[in-house]
Amino acid sequence: MTARPPQDAGAPPGTAFPPPRTAAGEGEGPVCHSGPKHGAGSGRRAPLWATGVSVVTALVLAGVTLTHLAMLFLHIAPPNAVTARYGERIDAYVQPEFGQDWKLFAPNPLQRDEVVLARVRTRDEDGGHRTSEWTNLTARDIEEIRGNPAPSHVHQNMLRRAWDSYVATHGTSDRDTGVRAELATAYLKRVVLQRIGREWRGRPVVALQVGARFTLIPHPWRPAQGTGPGTVSRRTLPWWPVTERDHEGL
Amino acid sequence: MNTITATTADSGAPAAPRPAPPGHRPRTRLARAAGAARTTRAPYQAALFRIAFAAVVTAFLLREWPHRRVLYGDRSPLSFDMALTLLREGGGFTVLSWWGGRPWFEAVYALTIAASLAVLVGWRTRTASVFLLVGVVSLENRNTLVGDGGDNIIRIMVIYLVFVRCARVWSLDARRARGRGAHDSPDRTGVVLWSVTGLLLLWAFGPGTLLTPGWPLLLWALWAVHGLWYTVNRRLPGHHLRTLLDGCAAMVHNCALLVIAVQICLIYSTAGWYKIQGGRWQEGSALHYVLHLDYFTPWPWLSGALASNALLVILLGHLTVVLQVAFPFTLFSRIKNVMVVALIAEHLGIAVLLGIPFLSLVMVACDALFLPTALLLRLGPRCAAPLRRAAGRPPGRAAPPPAGSAGP
Repeated sequence: MTARPPQDAGAPPGTAFPPPRTAAGEGEGPVCHSGPKHGAGSGRRAPLWATGVSVVTALVLAGVTLTHLAMLFLHIAPPNAVTARYGERIDAYVQPEFGQDWKLFAPNPLQRDEVVLARVRTRDEDGGHRTSEWTNLTARDIEEIRGNPAPSHVHQNMLRRAWDSYVATHGTSDRDTGVRAELATAYLKRVVLQRIGREWRGRPVVALQVGARFTLIPHPWRPAQGTGPGTVSRRTLPWWPVTERDHEGL
Repeated sequence: MNTITATTADSGAPAAPRPAPPGHRPRTRLARAAGAARTTRAPYQAALFRIAFAAVVTAFLLREWPHRRVLYGDRSPLSFDMALTLLREGGGFTVLSWWGGRPWFEAVYALTIAASLAVLVGWRTRTASVFLLVGVVSLENRNTLVGDGGDNIIRIMVIYLVFVRCARVWSLDARRARGRGAHDSPDRTGVVLWSVTGLLLLWAFGPGTLLTPGWPLLLWALWAVHGLWYTVNRRLPGHHLRTLLDGCAAMVHNCALLVIAVQICLIYSTAGWYKIQGGRWQEGSALHYVLHLDYFTPWPWLSGALASNALLVILLGHLTVVLQVAFPFTLFSRIKNVMVVALIAEHLGIAVLLGIPFLSLVMVACDALFLPTALLLRLGPRCAAPLRRAAGRPPGRAAPPPAGSAGP
């Protein structure tokens, strides 16, 4: 610990400023010589067994580190000969702990505003059905985000990602194919139900429909190609029945 | 040996002992390389990373306190059963899968905040960082569908942090270590903490988990190493075993730092290289679209003002790509410092402009790892002085000097 510069303001000014370093050595900085506190051990030569253990540890660490970094690189890299062959094994190593996706706004940012809407169907006493107007759920999120220096994940991510995960697991079809698709449907349904509640105008909700409206953001300097109809598109999901179980825990 | 342990800046030395030029004694070079590998590199950068990282995690957990149950708890739209299904599908460790009840969730959330604060101030950092790892990973894996890039970075870095000696300076641990010395009394708090942790592990996993690789085994191993380290320090202070363990811990630290540095480079490279391939980034209009996404415009007037200036949009767009792509290549030159400052500035700007403060600030914490030591040494006392004043200690004095201290 002798080489550690006094960082605790106990030193006279000046000594806390190490002399300029060369480019290569920069940042290498004062290292903590972490020799034993009691001063013994460091001066003597290490016995053979200690050197052996040190070397083995170093080799193992080197192997683990390099393997880990190679796995990370291959996981992120575009598909190539290696990932074609060992892709599954690489993913099995990396996922889920080190899973990563850094393509934020890349290769292109989203060029349309996506708005998630929902409407519900209620049942009257006489058995007749009534359908509500579309509610803009995204607008509620935006209202929470506006003027908020630290928006909550509930408003910034939950609904948006629930919709994205539905689209990712379903594509353009609305059929649940597989566990993940079923889960994405149930999740989106519950995210929306949590926001809409059990009742509409005093009547119990028996069915729910979710949809989305996409508005193209105009290009900054190229003249807009057909303003109006072409810039807005929609997707409406099928009606989903709602039971008491869907509200469980919300 | 040097390649394994080199930190970001420790690039000067050759990778492996090369055939020595005439007159050079290879033995000395090898010994020097071995010594470098067994030295804890960049303690100040590691400490700053720890502080900044823990501060972001603490702020995030406190910010989401009102929403915690909806995000990760018993009121989540991803119900307990759905979460279990997702975990079966994708794997992932979370202690929140043990029981879906609210008390358990509240305990985990509160303990994670406590661990985060402990890491922040560097109190029992080795133990606290493991608790933080378990807490953060558990919360995030309870509902992976509400996170963003920031949560992703946090989840990865919290694992690496466990292996970094990040409390050697600027921490309560370091202060305590300075205070301890010849009169060593047994470290009661440490022993109690270690015993309690052991009981927790036994309660949580039982001894059977020792045989299968996985998270429980890792946690057991860390626990055993903590115990070994304490015992060797107490009973065999001058023994070669202590030197050996210290060297091995330093090598692990160095490897972890290297992995963190490379991970950060991978983040920038991926983000940058994929952007290069995008037409909107090529023509410089990408930022225009980002500034019009409702979910990322907490200040519409600010985003609007920026987006209306086409020249600025193009300039900042290209600057972003250049910074991200170039960063890894500048690490070994002086330009690195300029890049780091520019990236920190950009992330601070993004934090405000796009309303994603936790993602941006955790990237700032990562960037800070590349700051030069000279700067950190200059900033350290300046930041410490107000803290000390706040704690009611006279400025300009070292932390309470314990009598009979065998300090540095």
